[in-house]
Amino acid sequence: MIGLSRLIDGLSAAVGRWVSWLVLASVLISAGNAVVRKISDNSSNALLEAQWYLFAAVFLLASGRTLLTQDHVRIDVLSSRFSKRTQVWIEVFGLLFFLLPLVAVVIVLSWPLVVGAFVSGEMSSNAGGLVRWPVMALLPLGFGLLGLQGLSELIKCVGYLRGVLPEPSGIRGQGSSAAKAKP
Amino acid sequence: MTELLSANMAPLMFASLVVFLLVGFPVAFSLGACGLFFSLVGIEIGLLPASLMQALPLRIFGIMQNDTLLAIPFFTFMGLILERSGMAEELLDTIGQLFGPVRGGLAYAVIFVGAMLAATTGVVAASVISMGLISLPIMLRYGYDRRLAAGVIAASGTLAQIIPPSLVLIVLADQLGQSVGDLYQGALVPSLMLTGLYVVYVAVVSVVRPQWVPALPPEARTFGRSPLRDGSAAGWGPGIAVTWRVARVMVPPLVLIFLVLGTIFLGIATPTEGGAMGAVGALVIAVINRRFSLSLLRQAMESTARLSCFVMFILIGSTVFSLAFQSVDGHKWVEHLLTSLPGGVMGFLIVVNVMIFLLAFFLDFFELAFIVVPLLAPVAVALGVDLVWFGVLLAVNMQTSFMHPPFGFALFYLRSVAPEIEYEDSVTGKKIAPVTIGQIYRGAIPFVLIQLVMVAMIISFPGLVSRPDDMAASVDPDAALRQMQDGAQAADAAAEAEVEDPMKAMQQSIEADRQKAPE
Repeated sequence: MIGLSRLIDGLSAAVGRWVSWLVLASVLISAGNAVVRKISDNSSNALLEAQWYLFAAVFLLASGRTLLTQDHVRIDVLSSRFSKRTQVWIEVFGLLFFLLPLVAVVIVLSWPLVVGAFVSGEMSSNAGGLVRWPVMALLPLGFGLLGLQGLSELIKCVGYLRGVLPEPSGIRGQGSSAAKAKP
Repeated sequence: MTELLSANMAPLMFASLVVFLLVGFPVAFSLGACGLFFSLVGIEIGLLPASLMQALPLRIFGIMQNDTLLAIPFFTFMGLILERSGMAEELLDTIGQLFGPVRGGLAYAVIFVGAMLAATTGVVAASVISMGLISLPIMLRYGYDRRLAAGVIAASGTLAQIIPPSLVLIVLADQLGQSVGDLYQGALVPSLMLTGLYVVYVAVVSVVRPQWVPALPPEARTFGRSPLRDGSAAGWGPGIAVTWRVARVMVPPLVLIFLVLGTIFLGIATPTEGGAMGAVGALVIAVINRRFSLSLLRQAMESTARLSCFVMFILIGSTVFSLAFQSVDGHKWVEHLLTSLPGGVMGFLIVVNVMIFLLAFFLDFFELAFIVVPLLAPVAVALGVDLVWFGVLLAVNMQTSFMHPPFGFALFYLRSVAPEIEYEDSVTGKKIAPVTIGQIYRGAIPFVLIQLVMVAMIISFPGLVSRPDDMAASVDPDAALRQMQDGAQAADAAAEAEVEDPMKAMQQSIEADRQKAPE
């Protein structure tokens, strides 16, 4: 199990590193397109759409790593006063009843749409736009990565509660406000 | 029981939201879980149609296609590149030297640099951290009052949230359905006034409590910390050397930001395009300053990806929540609550501002913008409040969420770089006591009060928030451009309406369902 958790962490980190390059790509495409639009007064819908395709890829695919590095903001006014174990229990509860159901619902509901778009070869309604299914597929894919990372966090929490693993670093991670409140 | 439940679903949802958020799990998922839970309950008791959740993927696709929010990663990336290419250090160093001989000079320098960084970057964390690392030790060395030093650094860092191009204003523009350019323009005067008020505060302190803000002693008035390296300026007098350095440091980022904001204000570029061009410009400046490196690029990209991810996930979470909340007529409940307040518009504004101010103790601005603002916007429209003005007002108020003890982010950022143990100053050899969290908190209070003064001023003098109409009256070509822009926006709105269509169908089916089963 612990091995599985490490494997997932590695995957999330690698995907996160990789997709951050898309930020640069998106910036360059957008700037290039803006310049072209000014100069020649025609802009390509494909490039305009590529911008948000790329941005969607960035924030959806980076979600696993953002969970890994605990950069999702929390409100731990209360929970930071609890003991470490209680906090880990809250984390387990949150992963099981908040995160994973949400992930499951989004994947289950979006999958048929992706398949539908793939089969029909749905295109953007804009002239010269891009084919839709790849960007739609990002939704189940991104949430899938998020769910996997949730599973990994769950393993780490349970491992800690059973005394097998050190305390999960995430509980008072960088993104949490209470982490910074603690002197 | 079911009757009671379905009648009070909206207030119940709102109360549960508070509980869900306080659990301490990441906000994005708590929000989503709360929405999901109540959707299931609603479907179970027959209040909501079983097909309700079908709209969810469409809504998330809508978020992915949002062109306005695309400006967030661009401006973040631009800011991080400028920040990491040494701009903050250079600015603080030169401007600190320039103002140092004046009483309170270092504090003025911090405010000035804070405003400059804000105009170029819009990232609070980066501003506070670099000013905390560079200015705080100097201020402590020369005997500045710790509370004042900490307060002025934290507050100046938060200027990034209100001076365009700020991320808060992008998010608010999106949530209020206004153009980012209009909000930027509207925020210009209030944000500069706010900076002015900070300066006034330091000036007052320097008169009332001169010992809190000593001028730099003569021996510190050289470019001692990092000696002049510019061969070109070495032969000239020190005055010219300083001017040269200040110019060299300040001009490129300032030109960049004038280009970016100027093209956005004139409607030549959309904010998204402006952000992208700015980001490329920042890369060019970094290359010219020989600061560019692969690790700089990678850091900036990864931070941008992280920030985008957590912001967009809060938006996704709040979409899940609002899907359920709107289906149980939650927005009507809120609207009813807020329109029935005594005092009409003024009553609404006062209650809203007090509420945001209090919520800002616990929530940061992204959460406020995504959870609270969508509830307020329709009420504001119903009361005839101008949404651009309203957005700027909220932005100034929300800025306090960064400075509120005990959870303001700017304070944490400062805490993370302030000395925690006694240390020996490298220049004077004196022992310097650590800065306590209490000192940081107390230092922030005057600035939170200044913020409230500004909120009151915007309410009393709505004209402070300039509207494109005012400009259009005086400048004709400008008006023409704006009209073109408006046309484009109308087209955008139409496109959005198309996306929203399934949602409307959904709501109609909910209405129909409800009429079918009144018992």
